[in-house]
Amino acid sequence: MIALSGYVGLSALLLTIGLYGLLTARNGIKILICIELMLNAANINLVAFAAHYQNAVGYVFAMFSIALAAAEAAVGLSILIALFRLKRSSDVSLLQLLKG
Amino acid sequence: MPLEAAWLIPLLPLAASLLITVLGRKLPEGGGWVAVGTGAIVLGISLFIAVQTLMSEESFRQSFTWFSAGGFELQIGLYLDKLAALMLIVVSSISFLILVYSTAYMHSEGPRRPRYYAEIMLFLSSMLGLVLADNYLQVYIFWELVGLCSFLLIGFWFERPTAAAAAIKAFLTTRVGDLFFLIGLLLLLVHFKTLGFEELFALKIAPDQLWVIALAGLCIFGGAVGKSAQFPLHIWLPDAMEGPTTVSALIHAATMVKAGVYLVARSMPLLVQAPENLLIVATIGGFTAFLAATMALINNDIKRVLAYSTISQLGYMFLGLGVGGFTYAFAHEAAGYTASLFHLMNHAFFKALLFLGAGSVIHSMHTNDLRQMGGLRKFMPITSLTMLLASLAIAGVPPFSGFWSKDELLAAVFAAAEHEPWLFVLGVLALAVAFMTAFYMFRLWFLAFAGKPRYEQHHHRPHESPVLMTVPLMLLAVPAALSGMTLLLGFADLIYHGKPHHLSALEVLKHIFTSPLTYLSTGLASVGIGLAYAIYLRDWSIVLPKPLTQIKNGVHKLLEQKYYLDRLLVEWLAGRVTLGLAWLVERFDSLIVDGAVNLAAKLAALYGGVMDLFDRVFVDGVVNGFAQLLRIFGQSLRRTVTGLVSDYASWVVAGIVILMIFYVTRGA
Repeated sequence: MIALSGYVGLSALLLTIGLYGLLTARNGIKILICIELMLNAANINLVAFAAHYQNAVGYVFAMFSIALAAAEAAVGLSILIALFRLKRSSDVSLLQLLKG
Repeated sequence: MPLEAAWLIPLLPLAASLLITVLGRKLPEGGGWVAVGTGAIVLGISLFIAVQTLMSEESFRQSFTWFSAGGFELQIGLYLDKLAALMLIVVSSISFLILVYSTAYMHSEGPRRPRYYAEIMLFLSSMLGLVLADNYLQVYIFWELVGLCSFLLIGFWFERPTAAAAAIKAFLTTRVGDLFFLIGLLLLLVHFKTLGFEELFALKIAPDQLWVIALAGLCIFGGAVGKSAQFPLHIWLPDAMEGPTTVSALIHAATMVKAGVYLVARSMPLLVQAPENLLIVATIGGFTAFLAATMALINNDIKRVLAYSTISQLGYMFLGLGVGGFTYAFAHEAAGYTASLFHLMNHAFFKALLFLGAGSVIHSMHTNDLRQMGGLRKFMPITSLTMLLASLAIAGVPPFSGFWSKDELLAAVFAAAEHEPWLFVLGVLALAVAFMTAFYMFRLWFLAFAGKPRYEQHHHRPHESPVLMTVPLMLLAVPAALSGMTLLLGFADLIYHGKPHHLSALEVLKHIFTSPLTYLSTGLASVGIGLAYAIYLRDWSIVLPKPLTQIKNGVHKLLEQKYYLDRLLVEWLAGRVTLGLAWLVERFDSLIVDGAVNLAAKLAALYGGVMDLFDRVFVDGVVNGFAQLLRIFGQSLRRTVTGLVSDYASWVVAGIVILMIFYVTRGA
């Protein structure tokens, strides 16, 4: 049996990696992947605590989160496609129209 | 007819003047007959009112408040006393005859006649208004109107440069006197709050206010000096002969110049309060009489001789008034006053006749020059006879009118000389004037009417003037010859200052014919006539030793140049001194007045500049500085808005981290 702290540690690791990628990546695909990583880090947390406390609410939340991640990926990818059509690149640093 | 009808006397000619101005061209004779008709009505009313006033013991006054301002009221009114009645008779009768004469004399003027008649009627209205006024302000208004009309009428032939210049000269010279008159009136108004005759004459003057009366009296006399052409303001009258002869007769002999005499006579109650003033009046009168008579001796212009004669006779009247007022101050008896006004009446008749006669000659000869006349007696019997009558009258030959008044005047002067030796000198001057008057008048008559013709006879056919001109001459000849007889009918009982003289005709005659003065003055006049006869008709030429001839030529030149007074007054005083004064005033204006104004402007500009600087630097500085501050602030904030999603994400993460630190530390 793996201890709860192992799950939480994995989750924190994943979140940190995702966050790092999110803040540093220029490529839109990478950013989407990093967001996915961070969502799943949260999901591991939800499932781990649900198992630990024997409470089903955590599972339900994880299910919602996965569905939401799918929707988010769909929207994110379509934005990327639009970007690519416009600029022939998936580099989000090209999207600087709101620069002051 | 009530006495209120006197209001019509000045108003009717005014209405006629307006009517002729508007409709003149359509009226017969250019409005001439309207003028004559109005003159006749005015004469009728005037005679009626004058007789009524002369009969009654009291004077008649009716006045309305024109306006009141401050502490005083200005009235417009009617004042009828015996003096006004005398003036009414003289002015209205002479002007009526002159109007009749004008219809013939001015006939050839064509479309200009309406202007002539309108101006003459306006003049008549002003003169009558002046005589009837009940206060000094009203007198002053009409006084100026009379001056204006005289300007217009002297300049009637304004296209002639000499006439235009004469009109301006007359206007400006009389203005000098008018200014004094105005100052006198203002003095009276300021100190006594009224200008009404009755109010002023009834005043009890405190000794410390006597100087006001004295000064105001002198100023009023100054006005009379201008209007009546006395020395040194006499220079305008001879030049005023540039106007039509009818104008000369009406304005510059019979009526307007008498306004000055009338004013002094009217102001007598004021003047007698400062007897020294009356000596000035007498001196100026006597001196002017002498000066003008000498200038008349050698003039060759028929009208100018008469003009100088007018100035000289007016001088007589002022001499009489001055002497009368002077004796009144001592003896409460003013024989000179009566004599002066008596002479005024007689002079008006014979001088109008002389001028109209001269007009008749000019009408026939088309020249004013006595040297181009001669022997006209045969061609112009009526003119020459009436002129002879008038000449006898002015020369003072008994029993014609001038004799009586001149004699009374001289008697008054020599009577007063007992109080004041200076008056004796003036009396001797007046006697010399009597001699010269006889001489120059008969010189004129002999040169014009007697002797041989000196004009080219095949060019000129002298002829008697039309009936409309000779009838007024004949009508005027009657009073010119006989008006002196009114002395015997009690003139002195009616016109007097102080108390009436109440002498019967016999007493008057006895008084006159027992006085050696009568024989002296009549003798001098006869010598004058005889001398004129000898020199101009018998061609006597006295062979003088050489030095005397030189003196004679020098005097002749001096007289020809009018004592250089015209040049002195016009060129030097009016030209140099006045221009110099004007230059000084201009300097003062441009340096001091303009300087002050400019300095004020500069100070204001300076203040404005300071305020502008304050606005720019301080007020604008605050506003701009604030804006600048906001700009810098915005510029620095701008750098945080990169548009990069990852940067925003970093901010979000940073926020979360801060929140976490906050909660964790608080939880602990």
